[in-house]
Amino acid sequence: MASSCFSNVDEYGFERPQNFDYQTYEEFMSEYLKVLAKRAKRWADIIGEGKSLQRSVTVKRYVRKGIPGVHRGMVWLTVSGAEELKNASPDLYQRLLDGHHSHDVAEIIKTDLPRTFPDNIFYNNIENQQHQLYNVLLAFAHQNKRVGYCQGLNYIAGLLLLVTKSEETAFWLLKILIEKILPEYYTPTMDGLLTDIDVLSELVRIKMPDVHQHVTNLGLPWAVITTKWFICLFAEVLPIETTLRIWDCLFYEGSKIIFRVALTLIKRNRENLLSCQDFTALAECFKEITKDSIVIRCHDFMQSIFKVPGSLSANTIEKLRTKVAQQRAEEKQTKTVRAG
Amino acid sequence: MVVIMVTMASRSTAQRPNGSTQGKICQFKLVLLGESAVGKSSLVLRFVKGQFHEYQESTIGAAFLTQTVCLDDTTVKFEIWDTAGQERYHSLAPMYYRGAQAAIVVYDITNQDTFVRATTWVKELQRQASPNIVIALAGNKSDLGNKRVVEFDEAQTYADENGLLFMETSAKTAMNVNDIFLAIAKKLPKNEQTGSAGTSGQGRRLVEVEGQKTTTSNCCK
Repeated sequence: MASSCFSNVDEYGFERPQNFDYQTYEEFMSEYLKVLAKRAKRWADIIGEGKSLQRSVTVKRYVRKGIPGVHRGMVWLTVSGAEELKNASPDLYQRLLDGHHSHDVAEIIKTDLPRTFPDNIFYNNIENQQHQLYNVLLAFAHQNKRVGYCQGLNYIAGLLLLVTKSEETAFWLLKILIEKILPEYYTPTMDGLLTDIDVLSELVRIKMPDVHQHVTNLGLPWAVITTKWFICLFAEVLPIETTLRIWDCLFYEGSKIIFRVALTLIKRNRENLLSCQDFTALAECFKEITKDSIVIRCHDFMQSIFKVPGSLSANTIEKLRTKVAQQRAEEKQTKTVRAG
Repeated sequence: MVVIMVTMASRSTAQRPNGSTQGKICQFKLVLLGESAVGKSSLVLRFVKGQFHEYQESTIGAAFLTQTVCLDDTTVKFEIWDTAGQERYHSLAPMYYRGAQAAIVVYDITNQDTFVRATTWVKELQRQASPNIVIALAGNKSDLGNKRVVEFDEAQTYADENGLLFMETSAKTAMNVNDIFLAIAKKLPKNEQTGSAGTSGQGRRLVEVEGQKTTTSNCCK
């Protein structure tokens, strides 16, 4: 630790874990800083004064190479369509905060406030930050009563706040994520989540049949491995910089990015996963692969998600979603008939 | 006498007082269930790492940890599945308790609703989990006695009626945390071989260990 020139708190306020791999990180950062400098210049050219950012092939390519931290909130708002929504009802956020609030929902959210990023200096020292998180989650729960508050949203909203430093921006980004970009992951039945877990399993079966067979043989359900990947969109799973780079693409390209990331993680660690002899080793291995040097090197990792998994169109995913949702409905019906 | 192993997981043998290695290792799947924020993750953290965080992150999906305890002549390795508490994660719960040989159902002694929720978990386990599952009821946050609303006797009576192990615990002070896991370990059958690591990965596994020697283990002394 003493040899590192990096603080034990990162730029977003997260305390680095004790076993943080400073050596890999330093090696990576010495290269990545050059990338960041180059990208900052390129971005400055397209979003300079008087220019308005619009979705285009160029912007998509730029987004894949990473949005500079200072522009993230603004670019996410624009490319996701959240800004348009916001402009259509500019006073919505304030109205939601001023409105009547359900006591139960408020209490559930309050319970999770101190349990959100307790290892982040902004959330554990600054009450104001927790209060902002409370406002965002409360406003969202009241404007989308079907979702209300679902555990996991605290991490997403929490990270949105750290990046954008604006309650209102965080609210609109949360809204567009939950209501447009992602399927129904957070509703009480979590149907969209269960479907997407099955879709991922199916994609692994198609693209890496040996891994799929191995995981099945050892008896580890995909839901056990991947629930948090989907629900938290890799926040609290992958290193922070990697997570934000994923979110850059997620806001532009939509939920298929989650599958690209998941498949890349699995494929790049194929040998390790296949060498696990039992259930415990495999479960541990799936934890390890979210922390190793492959994911710390976020720039390489993000390039690899567009190559490693091979072709993966939104259309393919939609078809699989329909297929597995149908299968689940049929299974449910069979069960009901049997029970009856 | 029973001692918790200080070192973790992978060690596969343990020494007896006379220095000979013991031969039996049992591996069990244990699941923690209960309402959000009752202290499930904190109990696991205390048991596995001996730590306590005043504010423990909310668990999404489930977390997986292992810990080993020694009982006289047997090493018991727990595969611990710590689950998310919020009601909507309920549809995922069967995946975690399926094939579990033990469950700890946790409530918070300062919150009556969490006790009611615990009783519904117990019912669900009795109906849908393995028929021989060992269930323990943990009334956590016993350090907050001045805010108590669930009486000890009420919980004890309920546990007796339902054949559950019962203890009040405190992840914060460590009270009864090791004890409840040990009580479960004692109650689990350790000499019958059922299931295998094969298809479910969740069956009870009995592994005969050939006299490997460990010099640092302080287990079972």
